[in-house]
Amino acid sequence: MTTKPVLSRLGPGSIPARAGIGLRAEHYDAVLEDRPPVGWLEVHSENYFGAGGKPLDYLERIRARYPLSLHGVGLSIGSTDPLNRQHLAKLKELIRRFEPALVSEHLSWSSVGGRYFNDLLPLPYTEEALDHMVARVAQVQDALGRQILIENPSSYLQYVESAIPEWEFLVELAERTGCGVLLDVNNIYVSACNHGFDATTYLQTVPRHIVREIHLAGFTVNRVDDGEILIDTHNQPVWPPVWALYRQAVQRFGRIPTLIEWDTDLPELTVLVDEAYRADAILEETHAQAA
Amino acid sequence: MLRLRELQLGFAAAVLDNIESDFDRHVRDAGLGGARRLRVYRNNAVLGLTGALEAVYPVARRVVGEGFFRYAAAQYIAYYPSRSGDLHVFGEHFPVFLQSFEPAAELAYLPDVARLEWAYHQVFHAASHPLLDLATLAQVPVERRETLRFQIHPAARLLESAFPILRIWQINQDDHTDDPSVDLSEGGVKLLIIRDENLDIEFRSLEDGEFSLLSTLAADGDFATACERAMTAQPTFDLPTCFGQHVLQGTLVAFY
Repeated sequence: MTTKPVLSRLGPGSIPARAGIGLRAEHYDAVLEDRPPVGWLEVHSENYFGAGGKPLDYLERIRARYPLSLHGVGLSIGSTDPLNRQHLAKLKELIRRFEPALVSEHLSWSSVGGRYFNDLLPLPYTEEALDHMVARVAQVQDALGRQILIENPSSYLQYVESAIPEWEFLVELAERTGCGVLLDVNNIYVSACNHGFDATTYLQTVPRHIVREIHLAGFTVNRVDDGEILIDTHNQPVWPPVWALYRQAVQRFGRIPTLIEWDTDLPELTVLVDEAYRADAILEETHAQAA
Repeated sequence: MLRLRELQLGFAAAVLDNIESDFDRHVRDAGLGGARRLRVYRNNAVLGLTGALEAVYPVARRVVGEGFFRYAAAQYIAYYPSRSGDLHVFGEHFPVFLQSFEPAAELAYLPDVARLEWAYHQVFHAASHPLLDLATLAQVPVERRETLRFQIHPAARLLESAFPILRIWQINQDDHTDDPSVDLSEGGVKLLIIRDENLDIEFRSLEDGEFSLLSTLAADGDFATACERAMTAQPTFDLPTCFGQHVLQGTLVAFY
């Protein structure tokens, strides 16, 4: 039984260059009742891979009111296993039904030998890995019949084998495949702290025209022995240095749709909306300055 | 220099299988040390998969406690690794795993409680289906009716247990305020788990005849066999009325 595409007043049109929030199950009713004045919503694609039931029903009702972005976490694009065709097919069907304006995945791998770790694992930044990612992203875009965005990861290690800086790897990937970049400003900050590189270098290397979405989220500081490591936990407000880096990003890239990402230990919906307001204010200010 | 595939296999073995190796020689120390950095990924992966199990099996978790559940989950993840990027399909074998999990052997009812929770989870995500066309069913010639097979609604599951698992499930819900006691010897239960028109899930405790009828049909038995088994299980069973209700309510959604 094929479901008709959701009748949206908005049509498949674009995501506005405003702040959006992640839509989580805990907030379904609040979003429908309160109609938070955010620009758009993003969901994790895999949460809607079921055959029916409440999640898809809610998404249909909410999609009629808001532009939508589908953010995947489980496609495991960077794995050396063959691409999971079943996963791709489900994603393709979700795209057909809900007409998202943006579809994204990660610069990462999460499976090998048929076993999934359901976590975003780090790639070495080598020529071989780059060729592999290029081939895979091309396959995915071909199969889906559209552009996808690739998100920069937060990372807790660097391989001895890595020869290319992550920002150059990502830019090269976008240039060779025509994919877009989902710039996670929090991940840049977390990785920069964890590996001692300059976050500004990252921003300045990425060309303007390929950044189509920005993510902002909170992180957790883990004290380890006599050091610390930042973990991308998505469970708290955006930290001040990340807001500062975001401001720089907006100055460089202009008004880009910005998502407030909060996945666990969810607060009331109003807290997410407040974070979105803050991002909107920065988008406005920077635009006003540029005018 | 390792090829990418070997690197990924090595990462999986070292970090996720916890196999002794020198994989950390591929990781830049940068103060923290390679092994410690790899452990971050191990912790994240275990946390994520454990979280998925907790989401599907909240009653089992409540019954055994958080610490024990995490221990069981860690063993489960090692024996029954995730096979999909979709976390919602992870955990299917947890009831079977619990069946032979020695530390939980005393809690004889636990695997069946887990089966109930997995069935609930399946119903939650199952497809909808239009009602059976009564007019078409009525037109089936009398002599053909015995041989008919019926399709159960995709969002329906049948489950039986020798233990009072429905009561155990109910008293472990967040909003349960009544008497929280359960008598494990109070007897078993035969259940139909189904969705209503609002997509809310309900449990119905069935009598023997009704359970036999539906479970035989669900197992692709023909109507004659299902009726025979139902009447044997419960000679007083009002089969025609019960069958009619299930057609009208949408428990049975197609025939062939």
